[in-house]
Amino acid sequence: MTHSLHREGTIDSLERDYALFIYPARGFNYKGCAPKVRRLVEIVYQAGPVNMIATTLRHNLYSGVRPEEVLDSIKEGSRVFSVFNNREGIKEALKGFKAADEGISIVVSGLIDRVREIALEIGLDPHTINISLGVHGGTDRLPPPDIRQFTTMCGHGMVSPLLVRDVIRRINSGKISSWDGSLVLAKPCACGIYNPHRSAELLEELTPLYTVARR
Amino acid sequence: MIIYKEVCVGCGRCQPYCPAGAIAFEDMKSVVEQDACYECGNCLRVAICPVDAIHDSPQVYQYPRALRKYFSDPCATHAVTGIEGRGTEESKTNDVTERCGPGEFGVAIEVGRPTLGMGLADIQRITRALARSGITEIEPQNPIHSMIADPATGDLKVEMLNERVLSAIIELQVTPERLPDVLRTIKAVANEVDSVFTLDVFTTLEPGLTIPRKLLDIVEAEGFTWRPNAKINMGLGRASD
Ligand code: SF4
Ligand code: SF4
Repeated sequence: MTHSLHREGTIDSLERDYALFIYPARGFNYKGCAPKVRRLVEIVYQAGPVNMIATTLRHNLYSGVRPEEVLDSIKEGSRVFSVFNNREGIKEALKGFKAADEGISIVVSGLIDRVREIALEIGLDPHTINISLGVHGGTDRLPPPDIRQFTTMCGHGMVSPLLVRDVIRRINSGKISSWDGSLVLAKPCACGIYNPHRSAELLEELTPLYTVARR
Repeated sequence: MIIYKEVCVGCGRCQPYCPAGAIAFEDMKSVVEQDACYECGNCLRVAICPVDAIHDSPQVYQYPRALRKYFSDPCATHAVTGIEGRGTEESKTNDVTERCGPGEFGVAIEVGRPTLGMGLADIQRITRALARSGITEIEPQNPIHSMIADPATGDLKVEMLNERVLSAIIELQVTPERLPDVLRTIKAVANEVDSVFTLDVFTTLEPGLTIPRKLLDIVEAEGFTWRPNAKINMGLGRASD
């Protein structure tokens, strides 16, 4: 479960954040799906994703995997997760998927209004929606919302709030740049949908506002 | 996870990577607090340790501790419950599987997320509350289903209750008539949960990515709001096997 529908942040920031999943269905279209998934991944590459993972590898583009390794690793039942940092990129990928017509489920996580616009523009009729009704329970124990903008970008919760604070501290003390800090945060994400471009933007906005002590 | 004390040089690099905050200094070396550790494998996977002091502990696949890894490590394939993964494919392949048909609703309650983690006793708090309200339609493909000892009470198998995991998902398929009851029950039990949970609902769309009014009316009537971003199945799949 990638948890991508609970990504937090402002509308302005979420405008530059679309997770995309290629998802064969066990028992329904697994047989012979590997070449189809590979073709779809080639389409994704042409559209310029900012991160990607194949479930066979569990390492994303910022944890030491080359794009061709992702393609080579695809076998029957592989699912591939990726993320785009702009509307044009996700639209390009969807256009390519429509033309390829491989019959594999495609899921987009993003602003509902934007996805609706894109679907209309390219003539797609989305099938199912999963809506977030928010977070409940002991919410006062959560890290603050600005830290959660980073941690919720990893669908499995592998980006620790402690690491976000550590990266902010290192940027503030001049040890690393916002982009390099963003790559530190992208590395643990084992679902390939951590968006390092959005994260670098957020770090630039946030770091001047924070003093983070080493615990 | 364990850290070999005799190997660790106490650089502290591994500590911020732990989502459970389970690694701390003790005698100038890093130590994993075993009860807090989810066995998510993150500290090992990021390969940050300069001296290779971090290793899987020998007990990691022993039941019931293995549940920690199974529910927390995104790379784990070991299946204590015989079902792969934390949840199911729910809405992701619904254009192919049609598990949730037009006019039907799916509900997912993911306990422990974002960030906090939880004890499996928290799952029991929710499954018990659902059972008290007569709601027992837990998705059979979901690992939680096989962890329930008594569907009538919502009790989990007793040996599981002390295990701590990053998250687990309770999934339900409900008719529109039952959804208000389900949402009311979940709202009421939220105060009893010793962690947090995300709540989501899914359904098939009407043409033009229109969310069925019936669903939104129920959500609003029960005092919930929905977020502007969602997970949308684009309708490009089809069955071929
Ligand atoms: S396995 Fe996960 S929870 Fe345990 S110490 Fe390592 S990072 Fe922390
Ligand atoms: S990274 Fe390795 S050497 Fe450094 S504190 Fe952690 S276990 Fe010890």
